[in-house]
Amino acid sequence: MKFKADEIASVIQKEIEDFRGQIQTAEVGRVIEVGDGIARCTGLSSAMSGEMLEFSNGTRGLAFNLEENSVGVVILGDYLKIKEGDEIRSTGKLLSVPVGEALLGRVVDPLGNPLDGKGPVLTPHSRPVEWQAAGVAERQPVKEPLQTGIKAIDAMTPIGRGQRELIIGDRKTGKTAIAIDTILNQKDTGVICVYVACGQRGSSVAGVVEILRQHGALDYTIVIAASSADPAPIQYIAPYAGAAMAEYFMYQGKHTLVVYDDLSKQAVAYRQLSLLMRRPPGREAFPGDVFYCHSRLLERAVKLNKELGGGSMTALPIIETLEGEVSAYIPTNVISITDGQIYLESDLFWKGIRPAINVGVSVSRVGGNAQNKAMKKIAGSLRLDLAAFRELEAFAQLGTELDKATQSQLDRGYRMVELLKQPQYAPLHVADQVVAIYAGAKGYFDKVPVNKVQETEVQLHEFIRTEHADLRDKLIAQAALTEEIEGMLKAALTAFVARLASKS
Amino acid sequence: MSDTSTKQRSDSALEDPGALAVATMYARSYMTSAAQNGVTGPEEELNSLMDDVLAKNPEFNSILMSDSVGRDDKLGIVDRVIAPISSEFFANFLRVLIRHGRVAMLPMIQSVLGRLQEEAAGKQRVRVRTAKPLSESSRSQIREQLQNKMGFEPLLQETVDASLIGGMILQVGDTIYDSSLRSRLKQLKSRLVEKAFNEIQSGRDRFSHPEGD
Repeated sequence: MKFKADEIASVIQKEIEDFRGQIQTAEVGRVIEVGDGIARCTGLSSAMSGEMLEFSNGTRGLAFNLEENSVGVVILGDYLKIKEGDEIRSTGKLLSVPVGEALLGRVVDPLGNPLDGKGPVLTPHSRPVEWQAAGVAERQPVKEPLQTGIKAIDAMTPIGRGQRELIIGDRKTGKTAIAIDTILNQKDTGVICVYVACGQRGSSVAGVVEILRQHGALDYTIVIAASSADPAPIQYIAPYAGAAMAEYFMYQGKHTLVVYDDLSKQAVAYRQLSLLMRRPPGREAFPGDVFYCHSRLLERAVKLNKELGGGSMTALPIIETLEGEVSAYIPTNVISITDGQIYLESDLFWKGIRPAINVGVSVSRVGGNAQNKAMKKIAGSLRLDLAAFRELEAFAQLGTELDKATQSQLDRGYRMVELLKQPQYAPLHVADQVVAIYAGAKGYFDKVPVNKVQETEVQLHEFIRTEHADLRDKLIAQAALTEEIEGMLKAALTAFVARLASKS
Repeated sequence: MSDTSTKQRSDSALEDPGALAVATMYARSYMTSAAQNGVTGPEEELNSLMDDVLAKNPEFNSILMSDSVGRDDKLGIVDRVIAPISSEFFANFLRVLIRHGRVAMLPMIQSVLGRLQEEAAGKQRVRVRTAKPLSESSRSQIREQLQNKMGFEPLLQETVDASLIGGMILQVGDTIYDSSLRSRLKQLKSRLVEKAFNEIQSGRDRFSHPEGD
């Protein structure tokens, strides 16, 4: 197949012949001062708040502050190329980004421009960055599970489709790792993922993209990257752009997952903009509407009702704390907005408990309704058991003599903690999670030395998959622990324990 | 009246919008109060002060505008020098400006007043940007068309900007009507790029096997 040069020439010729340029009518203004990513302009007397504006060199801006005699504009692009006296035009449109299937597998900036060198994003669709969240009548309760593939989360802080679950913790506690594992676990589930990197180092974004690619997760993922080198306005709009791209799929009835990594940096970018715009500072110098900035973003995570297709957007915002300080301004704000939080601690992380989830303070307010029935049955008492174990453990450290019952409870606790550990990039299917937690909670691991628990767990999964595939299939199909399945599971686990005993 | 005789001050990017708003307030008040007091042609006296007195006597100008001369001294100067030969109304206007410390705004007030007077007379300034200087016939055509369409008498302010390539851009107030060749070419370019995108997309479909790789 060859292209014919004549053919192309005639197409272009026809296009030019048919072209009727229209007179463009627009409002104009002039830049009176520019710097630090913002510009102050005169004119533009009927500009709207949030309207997209265009500078004479093609750079886009966003009308941010409407004042009596001037308009404060945030510059979405290189502000060094804009000079005092430049013309600025209104476009009459809200700031929008390209959306659609063409973005899947791409790495783009918050305006939809490609960053991955794979050519232009070819999509006819676009969507305003700011969009009113669905109202009460347009929603339905969260009831479908979104499996993260992480045992500790799926068992104790389950996440439902349409939920907003905050991942909070100090630096280097594995916040991004949880989000990435969750994205990896959405393979073959039809969930479309959007990863918004806001204020991250370029190298860590590149690392995330590489991992997603290696695990074949990039095919259903859009990566929006606003690195810390990008101007504050770009970082500020990145989460909204991510939400817009996910909404496109959501309103088509698909399920989506958006990770905002991380919102504390977005808040800092917003603070910078607001202070430059001379909005009055409040607590920690954040502007008064920083709460609204996050609440209107997270409110867009929704489970739509059947008439609207039943699509959903699950949001996993990430917040970085300083020295475990959750009572700082932004963490308390986002905790109060979200439907629960997964709290990560560096102490646990360095103890080797990874994911370093603090089970005591991590909660999921709505996920329980969405939890897999089998998981719900076995995980019901897990949280309480672990809490009791921790109390006992502290007591046992005093070195007192323990009676046999207490000692066995302690031993089981150590094994449960061990079982809830999970390596990175290895999400487990919920059926496998059920088997592992069931085995641990019912004492099938009691004879296994604590340091061998993880190894034995891997063997157990292998054993179930190869020799009791019917059990696993049933567990997946029914998603509940019926008496029949429980009987089969007990038999299989007894056989497994017997095999372990014979080996040693 | 020919357009070349009207004072044409180009909009400066350096204009302080806050100061402009204040100057507009003074100019409007001056005009309204002149109309109420039956003073005709209030701009004549102001223009004559600016052009015949201040422009020709830079020392006097700097005394009046300077901050180092006190208000009372300035008021005294006005009483002695200007009040005897000007109308009482205009002298009062100057006194108000001096008392409020706004006398340095006189040039701005003058230009705003000119614009307000034009608007009151049903005229409006229209900036015309063209690639080549306008011919007399096209100038009158533009004027006629604008008068018919917009319903005011246009005062054309012409600028030549070769980067437009052809066509012209009209600006009335904050609104521009852009029919320049430059922006048309820009439109055509984006249209062609879009078309090329679709061609590439369909070309890709053409080369891929329908049953997959």
